[in-house]
Amino acid sequence: MARTASRSYRLAHAALLSVLVALAALPASSPGQAAKPAPAKEEESPTQRLWNEAETALGKKQYKAALDLFKKLEGESDKAGLPEMAKAAIAFRQATCLYLMAGQSKKTEDWAKVEEALKGFLAKYPRGTETLLDPSNNMRGVVRLSLIEVYANLSKWDAALADLEALRRPSPEIRAEDRVLAFVLTAKVLEEKAKGQSEPELKLALNQAMNLLKQVTAAGIGTSESREAANKLVEVYTKLGMAKEAEQLRAEIEAKGGGSPAEMVRANVQRLEIGDARFQAAEEASDGKARETLYRQALASYQGTLRRAALARALGQAVESKQAEVDQLNRLYAKPDDNQKALIDKAKEEVDSFKKIQAEFTANKDYDAVIAYRIGLCLLELGRPWEAFVAFRDIFQNNPGFEKVSGAYYYYIDALRRIGRNDEAQKVSRDFLQKYPDSPEVAPIAVGLGEICMEQEEYDKAIEQFRWAKANVRNLDPQAQQEIDFGIVRALFSNVDWAKARAALDEFLAKHPKSPARESALYMHGLTWFFEGRYRETKASLEKYMAEFPNGQYQADVLYRQGIVALNVQGPDEAIAIAKRWLDKHGKSKAEAIVAQVPELHVLIGDAHTKKAELLGRKAGEAEYKARVTAAPGPKAQHMKAKAEAEAAKEEQVKASIEAYLVAVRAARSNPQVLDFAIGEVNKLLTGRGEQRRLREIYQELYDWDPKAPKALSYLYEVIKATEKMGDGAEFRARTEAAQSRFGDLLAAARRKVDTLERAGKPNTPELTQAKAEVAKLSDDLAKDLDAVEADRQKSIQAARQEALGILGAALKSSLNDRRQEGAERLVAFLAEKLARRIKRVRPGQEPAPDAYTLKKAEADLEATMGVTESSGSLIAQARLYYGKGTLALLARDPARAESMWRRIADLYKAEELSPGILGTVGDYLASKQDPKAEAYFAYIAEHHRSSEYADFGFAGLAEVRLAQGKAKEALAIADEATAMGITLSKEKDLRFTRARALVELGQFDEAKKELTYISGVREWRGETTSGCLYHLALIEEKQGRMQEAVVLHQRNILAWKKHERWVARSYLRAGELLAKLGQRDAARATYQEMLTKDRVKDTPEAQEARSRLTRI
Amino acid sequence: MRTLAPALLLLAAAALPAQVVTFKSGERWEVNNPFQLDAKGQPVVDAKKARFNTTFDRLERKTTSGTIEVVANRKMEEVVQIEWPAIAQLDQARQMILRGEAANALELVETVLRPFDKVKKVPGSPWVTAAIVKLDAIDRLDNDAALAAFLSALESVDDGSNAELAQKIKLAKLIQKARRGEHAAVVADADGLISQFDGADTLARLHILKGASLLALKRYEDAMNTYLRVPVFYGSQQEHLPKALLGAAKAFRGMDSPATKSQRLGEVANTYLRELVATFPVSVEAEEAKALLPREDRQAAEKAQSGLPTQGAAAPQ
Repeated sequence: MARTASRSYRLAHAALLSVLVALAALPASSPGQAAKPAPAKEEESPTQRLWNEAETALGKKQYKAALDLFKKLEGESDKAGLPEMAKAAIAFRQATCLYLMAGQSKKTEDWAKVEEALKGFLAKYPRGTETLLDPSNNMRGVVRLSLIEVYANLSKWDAALADLEALRRPSPEIRAEDRVLAFVLTAKVLEEKAKGQSEPELKLALNQAMNLLKQVTAAGIGTSESREAANKLVEVYTKLGMAKEAEQLRAEIEAKGGGSPAEMVRANVQRLEIGDARFQAAEEASDGKARETLYRQALASYQGTLRRAALARALGQAVESKQAEVDQLNRLYAKPDDNQKALIDKAKEEVDSFKKIQAEFTANKDYDAVIAYRIGLCLLELGRPWEAFVAFRDIFQNNPGFEKVSGAYYYYIDALRRIGRNDEAQKVSRDFLQKYPDSPEVAPIAVGLGEICMEQEEYDKAIEQFRWAKANVRNLDPQAQQEIDFGIVRALFSNVDWAKARAALDEFLAKHPKSPARESALYMHGLTWFFEGRYRETKASLEKYMAEFPNGQYQADVLYRQGIVALNVQGPDEAIAIAKRWLDKHGKSKAEAIVAQVPELHVLIGDAHTKKAELLGRKAGEAEYKARVTAAPGPKAQHMKAKAEAEAAKEEQVKASIEAYLVAVRAARSNPQVLDFAIGEVNKLLTGRGEQRRLREIYQELYDWDPKAPKALSYLYEVIKATEKMGDGAEFRARTEAAQSRFGDLLAAARRKVDTLERAGKPNTPELTQAKAEVAKLSDDLAKDLDAVEADRQKSIQAARQEALGILGAALKSSLNDRRQEGAERLVAFLAEKLARRIKRVRPGQEPAPDAYTLKKAEADLEATMGVTESSGSLIAQARLYYGKGTLALLARDPARAESMWRRIADLYKAEELSPGILGTVGDYLASKQDPKAEAYFAYIAEHHRSSEYADFGFAGLAEVRLAQGKAKEALAIADEATAMGITLSKEKDLRFTRARALVELGQFDEAKKELTYISGVREWRGETTSGCLYHLALIEEKQGRMQEAVVLHQRNILAWKKHERWVARSYLRAGELLAKLGQRDAARATYQEMLTKDRVKDTPEAQEARSRLTRI
Repeated sequence: MRTLAPALLLLAAAALPAQVVTFKSGERWEVNNPFQLDAKGQPVVDAKKARFNTTFDRLERKTTSGTIEVVANRKMEEVVQIEWPAIAQLDQARQMILRGEAANALELVETVLRPFDKVKKVPGSPWVTAAIVKLDAIDRLDNDAALAAFLSALESVDDGSNAELAQKIKLAKLIQKARRGEHAAVVADADGLISQFDGADTLARLHILKGASLLALKRYEDAMNTYLRVPVFYGSQQEHLPKALLGAAKAFRGMDSPATKSQRLGEVANTYLRELVATFPVSVEAEEAKALLPREDRQAAEKAQSGLPTQGAAAPQ
């Protein structure tokens, strides 16, 4: 991934550094800054006046004026008889002016003038300014250092390095601080000199600089000069990728430093640089673990960087405190002497420099965004897309004007895609493209817009997205346009819209004749014909591809397609020949695409054999027809022989075809489409031939590939189906046919004899009686034989069923202990269903026959098949056994037994030990019994299985429980959350009803009415809930004081929903009460009396209450 | 080694930065650190330095000349500036809070607060730092009365001169609001304070408070965004990470639904919980995280903690 820092960040970074360099380096290296004002004299001479004027101009940064005044003074110095040290000071000041002017103009000729002036000073004044400007500094060291800077500006590296070498040597002439700065400067010069050179040369220079700086910092970093050296060393370490050393030294500098704004800013910049160095190293690292470590370290560096607000506050405080110092000095020294004035000036200078740093910092608006951007990148690399998502969002929220915002969007979209928010990624992409049409990321984002849909196989949407990008995004470069055009082609192609895809391909090939996608486009062009079944056009189109790309990447596929074309045009033999050629040429390839195509070739071979079999079948049919219509025995026999030969040959072809499809199935693990087709063919052929065992074997093989795969269950069903069918084998049909054929002729002869005798008119002769007895005997013998066959068949079917159960049990066992396998409950239910079908039902109170298959036996079989007992196996396996028994009981119409199973689950297991399916089922049961444990079950689903297919059970159940607890507000919140999160699924009716009742409880009648009316209006939900809705609508009327309307609604409920006593009983009771309140005592009495006559209602608790009321009325 | 130990301790003591107080008069005294203990748990005393009196309202310094001992006294009220290195006991208290031993932490932090009671607002006073640790401890104890009492104590000393103190008071008020369940107000106030404050510690705290309120309001996506800002931008504030990770995991759980199934948010939540248990195993949040983890993951995490080989748990990110 190519990542660069934003330009504004770099500029700001550079600006900050230049300020820091100016602050730290200028006092020693610039002649102007180190000078102190000349001592004042009591009576001002003309030269003194001139000096003062020049100094004032210099102080006001009027360098040219100051230079002229110093020159004038120099001209008068001999006449005024000034001492050497004064002349040296004047020369020093002139050089200072020139230096500052050159610093502004940055012109080479100006730097040359400074060089001349500084050299002149050094040559002419061997004792420098002596003690005149500074009692402890004769300025020669400063001038020599400044000269080196001038050399650097003039790229006179060797001269600079030679001078620096001399300066670094211990000498009484050079102050210790200047020596330290000489080391720093040498390092800078070495680095500057190596710029633009090769990487090894730059590295060598940096290593030299590092060694020099190490020498000077080895003695400690107590002084500002040595800290400057240390800071430089941090930079060098960082550039050399020695982030650890840089980090350690930076921490040391921070500990030893005075915490000035300059140091603070610099420390922060260093942290960023160290982070960058680590990030860079991570990008280059080949070892995955090392990469991760480096990204983590880079992240830590970025996270340790102060954010804008913190830094701005610190800077503000520093400025304020320095300003307070100036104010205090001004107050203290109302009439300052020279020393006091110098003190005040120094403090003022510091205020200015702090303000300058502050201004620089304030100008850099991107500071926080730069940090967030880098943090986001590290997090993406560390595989933490959610956190990266948060980091990038921070940029959009707080620094929308960030210069690198387009890059941030690019990676934000990447993060969105990684966390699976593809729709949002597309929305953001569109917003981005409209908002930043000129950004460099437009092209990848515009292309990505459609690619997201392509990945999701939403081709129509992809076309729409590509077209949108094409129409709405300005400034798309030709390559991006081409990518988008090709994207549309790919989407049309993938959408099997062949004619449109072909038209788009024609357009693409014409518009982009030299596109890198030309090969793919030509190939796809051939395929569009192919998939339309237009083989002659396919042949021509693919031949064009072969001619243009004889060694193209689609050679293998094209050869395969030619095989299919051959099957349809030249014939199956040619197709088989091509397929074999393909397998010889590519069959051993390990390339993914080729491996995936191998089964297709076998399918082709299978198809070719099938076609041959069809042709032979037709031939056999024709021969048979001819034999039928031919009377002459000779030719007839010939036709019969031809038929037999054709059938034998067909059988061979069918066998070959089955073999080819089986090979295809086994090779198609990575090609699900071919797998589906080939297994379908195998199923058809083997089922037709009654070869259930082979069928079972191949399905078992598929199931064993991955029993947890989504299709595994359907393979398992086929295994079980085939196993069960194996019981009813072909041998029983053969035996039946043999017996029938064996007895058929004998019986026919015997019956003919009886007929003949009867027609002869001798009804009671012993002959006839014997003939009849013979027929009866033969019939009995046939029946006995057939019974024996049937008995064997039944035995075999039973054995096969048992075997099928064993297979199902084995499959179950593999997932039984995994609580998170939601499919296990489906398998258990499937097994229960199979067993339940065999249960012999008896009327209540009746004893089943002793050998009948009862629920008890079915439970035993369930236990045996699952391989688990109520006291063995894992907790979830045991619970699943109870679940199976419960389901079995429900299917066998024994709800009491089912309830006892649910109760056992509830008594024995904690919520966390159960799967969501069991939690939901048992939770519902517990809730129906007002068992408090239901709450824990539902809460566990709502907490831990929110994306499960049973999530709705949790929310609906929990809402109901809360409502029953009188916590209507909580119930409403749960129902609302389920709706907001789309967790209503199969419990939408219940959730809405609970919500409505909670709203009634909370007095939100309008909203409740709306909800209740909606529920009542859904036809599929009509029943008890509708009755409940009517009851609650009546309740709303009542609560709003509209008694009569309430009574009408209750009466409507009583009339319309008699079957649903739960709510009807309540309606009776409320109606009676309301009528009594309205003074209609007779009507009230009649209502109660009617209630007590209704079978469904008369035994309810409400009816008890009605009885009691009746006595009171 | 036994004989060397005291010498090493003294050497270490000598190397530590000194505690200095400056009085109105401009006089500067070096003060014995009452929190620095020797091997026997007794305070290390340097006779040349000043020490607190028993009621902590004065500083005393003894000087001896020959047989004469002169004792100088200064009232704590005269102190105008304090330079005090980081106090180890506060770190210990923070660790205790993290482990759920809030009551012990409170006891420890009180010993730090006491000497500085008279100089709460003096620049450099460790009182403010100690006060925020106390606030954390009270928060953990779920003691509304204690929180209210401490808050009023804080407010009584706040005259606006100490920005940090003012910040902490606002933070404490926010904690109170959150306790009262005024979550919408907490979210709004936290937003305001986040834009005003700049300290990483305070910002991390504010984000956690805001995240918790968003979670209570069932604004899961916003809660996730808020909680995750702590590890993303304030990752160096280790003490706040357990709360943030736990909150983020809960937010992810809340976001999980059939509609977002493809994002596997339940698993994302579990990943954060596992990470929390693995990275901060002795924190209170790790215990809660374990309870929230599915049974198998929890057992794996517990096994990993006890050093046994684990099964079935994915490695933290």
